[in-house]
Amino acid sequence: MMRRDARVGLLFALPWILGFLIFMAYPLIASLISSFTNFSILRPPKLIGLANYNELLHDEVFYKSLSNTLLYVLGAVPLTTVVAILLALLLNTKVKGMAVYRTLFFLPTLVPMVALGTLFLWVFNGDYGLFKQLFLKVGVTSPGWLTEPGWSKWTLILISMWGCGQAMVIYLAGLQDVPVSLYEAAELDGAKSWSKTVNVTLPMISPVILFNVVMSIIGSLQIFAVPYVMFPGGAPARSAYFYTSYLYDNAFQYQRMGYASAMGWVLFLITLLLTLIALKLSEKHVHYEGS
Amino acid sequence: MDLWLLLKIVGALLALGIVGSAVSLLLNETAIGRSILTVLENKAFRKVLAHILLVSLSVLFVLPLLWMLSTSLKPIGETLTNPPRWIPSKVLWSNYPDAISFNSKELGYIPLLVYARNTIIVTILAVGGSVLSNAIVAYSFARIKWPGRDLFFGVTLATMMIPFPVVMVPTFALFKWLGWVGTFKPLWVPAFFASAFSIFLLRQFYRTIPMELSEAAKIDGCNEFRIFTDIIVPLSRPALMVIALFTFMGSWNDFLGPLIYLVDQNTFTLSLGLQAYQSQHGGTPFNLLMAASCLVILPVVVVFFLAQKVFIQGIATSGLK
Amino acid sequence: MVCAAIAGDKAVVRQARTDRINVTYWEKWTGDEATEMRKVVDAYNKSQDKVFVQYLSISGVDTKTMLATAGGNPPDVAGIWLDQVCEFSDAKALTDLSQMAKESGLGPDYYIKGYWDPLFYRGGLWALPSTPASIALHVRSDLVPPDVATPETFPKTIEGLDKLVDRISKKRPNGDLEMAGFLPSDPGWWNWSWGMYFGGKLVDGDRLTIDSPENVRAFKWVQSYAKRFGAKEVQSFQSGFANFASPQDPFMLGKVATEQNGVWKANYIRVYKPDLKWFAVPMPYPGDRPDLAGHTNLSQDVLTIPRGAKHPKEAFEFIRFVQRQDVMEGLCKGHGKNSPLEKVSENFLTTHQNKFIRLFDQLARSPKAFSPPQIGILPQLQNEMNVAFQEVSTEQKSPEQALHDAQNRVSALWDTYKDQVLNK
Repeated sequence: MMRRDARVGLLFALPWILGFLIFMAYPLIASLISSFTNFSILRPPKLIGLANYNELLHDEVFYKSLSNTLLYVLGAVPLTTVVAILLALLLNTKVKGMAVYRTLFFLPTLVPMVALGTLFLWVFNGDYGLFKQLFLKVGVTSPGWLTEPGWSKWTLILISMWGCGQAMVIYLAGLQDVPVSLYEAAELDGAKSWSKTVNVTLPMISPVILFNVVMSIIGSLQIFAVPYVMFPGGAPARSAYFYTSYLYDNAFQYQRMGYASAMGWVLFLITLLLTLIALKLSEKHVHYEGS
Repeated sequence: MDLWLLLKIVGALLALGIVGSAVSLLLNETAIGRSILTVLENKAFRKVLAHILLVSLSVLFVLPLLWMLSTSLKPIGETLTNPPRWIPSKVLWSNYPDAISFNSKELGYIPLLVYARNTIIVTILAVGGSVLSNAIVAYSFARIKWPGRDLFFGVTLATMMIPFPVVMVPTFALFKWLGWVGTFKPLWVPAFFASAFSIFLLRQFYRTIPMELSEAAKIDGCNEFRIFTDIIVPLSRPALMVIALFTFMGSWNDFLGPLIYLVDQNTFTLSLGLQAYQSQHGGTPFNLLMAASCLVILPVVVVFFLAQKVFIQGIATSGLK
Repeated sequence: MVCAAIAGDKAVVRQARTDRINVTYWEKWTGDEATEMRKVVDAYNKSQDKVFVQYLSISGVDTKTMLATAGGNPPDVAGIWLDQVCEFSDAKALTDLSQMAKESGLGPDYYIKGYWDPLFYRGGLWALPSTPASIALHVRSDLVPPDVATPETFPKTIEGLDKLVDRISKKRPNGDLEMAGFLPSDPGWWNWSWGMYFGGKLVDGDRLTIDSPENVRAFKWVQSYAKRFGAKEVQSFQSGFANFASPQDPFMLGKVATEQNGVWKANYIRVYKPDLKWFAVPMPYPGDRPDLAGHTNLSQDVLTIPRGAKHPKEAFEFIRFVQRQDVMEGLCKGHGKNSPLEKVSENFLTTHQNKFIRLFDQLARSPKAFSPPQIGILPQLQNEMNVAFQEVSTEQKSPEQALHDAQNRVSALWDTYKDQVLNK
């Protein structure tokens, strides 16, 4: 029985296994090896042992970019998750024209990167941006979204929340699978709507929440494109300089591919650690109907 | 952020917490409070509340995009004015055909329609391959027990954690060795081999389907493959739709992939085409860029609008169906 | 937008000819600047029948050239910036042109010294100019008081400029800046160079001298502007500056009365605000250092032949053609820039569309003109100087602290670089 299961299991997983061997094995191994060299794209690599990793430990920009990234993750992941769930709940109600509303909230994720950068430079502009206008109408001074070191990360967190459409859609799909019978049973027990949400909905979609949180952590750790366009060089004063920005600069601007590869593998270890923590913490709270 | 601001925020949160608890106490304990609660529970009232929230939030979300639309209809001189104008002095619908036939200094005429065709081809292939392969592979991880499965799943997850720039160069070298650079192949062939993200997503969904269904079918004599096609796939249509949608979006908007692997201008995709509107030393025609961006977004919006019916109205009945 | 591409095989073949030798030429320019270069390319192609040069506008041309060279498939001619020459040369990515240049008679007497010297690095000639530039202070004569509104009467020293700024800058009642006499952070492309305007150097032989007294003095001066206007006010004022290639450029809009900028600025003024009243003067010098008068920052767009190019000899033929005086002057005039050649025709100077071309030409010939330091880690050095500049402008650090930190960091990077790259 076990033998047959193993065969069938591997058969089903075959496309992925093949794909992994063909498309990933070589690049992964190559980049691991290059982290132990002084490879620079233009120069043939020379093994230098652990020198890159050692240098990383003493590199203050490494720590700065890492702390920026971790702070961003700390802000973006919970806030975006909450917003996505709340929106999904809201969009799951039976209101006319729901299809239109859902599309509207999802639109932000469709904007091409090229236009996105320009768009947000306008929205957050300190002189005539959308936010400044809104704040002025309310009579409050607008902070320097793009120019003050203390605010740059919040700007990016806001943008992340605005773009939560993808997670929201996944939650929506998950909400569909919550059996109506459970709601009916809860109502019979006299539960009000808020406790229905907390005691029925959330546990039933907890695998989906776990998925989104893990993906959000992984994605946020690798944030790159938007800050690169809006805060070139991590300005002001490296407050918006993130891990992948520094990695990219090392690889392509400073010709230090080996060093960048080392950075990549360190990030991998950190991501692994955070994900394992998330998975461990979730064991008590995530409820799998199927297992 | 300076200490003063931090203290202000903490103070605000504390105040909010105190007020919140006071309100909750009042609502639950006093008679007036309880009648307020009954009103809040009222279905009609909730509908109105939902309407209000929906309208106001969606306006907030859509505002930057309205700006995109507004900019796409402006004459070039009004695109970056201060204070900004929402309504252009003359509504230039001509920006749209102009965008399609834009003669960019960098690439000459931008055959947007050719790019659209290319993008459609690549996207359809990618979506097809993705749904097919991910459905199968995720089933293996979610519903079949085999030795080493969980370990391998962990490895699968781990592959998502490598930042792209690190593997970009060796990946390109690989495709070059295969002779695929200059063709569409690097953009859609890997989709037929599943992706970690989709595997993870589908696995989570598959696991919400009770194992009893599979066991019952096995007792009836079905093999795994029959269970897969007859039971699991129909039940997971919402999730499969999500996979299809995301693959569609990813492929449609993919920029880095086409940039690296496509050589002949006639094979470019839409995202590359958008890039051509930007010129290096400024003088970007923002209105045309926004017009082109709106055109590029349109198909995805339509697809999403249609697709959501499928995965929202998926299975609206109870679990043991 | 960031576009790093691995373009090893990525020459967009548009008009490949089979009867001639094809020379691929990757260049950063788009728009009008590209049109001017295409004219030169066409002229060259017409002038002989052995070689055909294909011009390709490539964004991110430096990264793509690097990757293509690594991939063994570089273009024959790559148009990059002078700033990258040392880095690429250390990485052995460029072909040494000294022999071919000598044979063609291109030598130090042919060029202005300030442009020729930086092309030599560690015993090799790695590039030849395509178009150069020099930098001066642009002044809005309608925004400064009449007693200083001409090139002759405008203050020559830093202190004089500072006094003028105090006189004319305007603030709104709520504290927001309305018009700044000058801003060291505008346009912000040469933040690393302020020390050099005060007589300091960033690199001295094999050592870094980032925290030298002159550099500290320069950054103290930079910080004085943050103190003068308020760091936050400057930041939010600057965030409203639109693209320089538009009518909303801060100088053209009158948000700043004076601006450090290059010879090409006049092009944009001509296009967007032709009746603007302005003039150009040399950048001011510190009052106690009159020996620095006439200084300027010299930048160049350069042509190189990457290592492994398939047709280096033919590539050089084309580059040689560009260096011809009439061709070079045509190209530079088309770009609105000055010429890098020692000899300049009177016609060039008189018919040039920049009214102040003589000043820019003169500045380029000044013995006080400087170029970016010749060091392989120049990108990192410039980035660190930028960060230090921002730290000082936002008053996060004192000038001494910021430069000291930069000195430590870059020295460490330099040591690693010397160890890993230069000592092979």
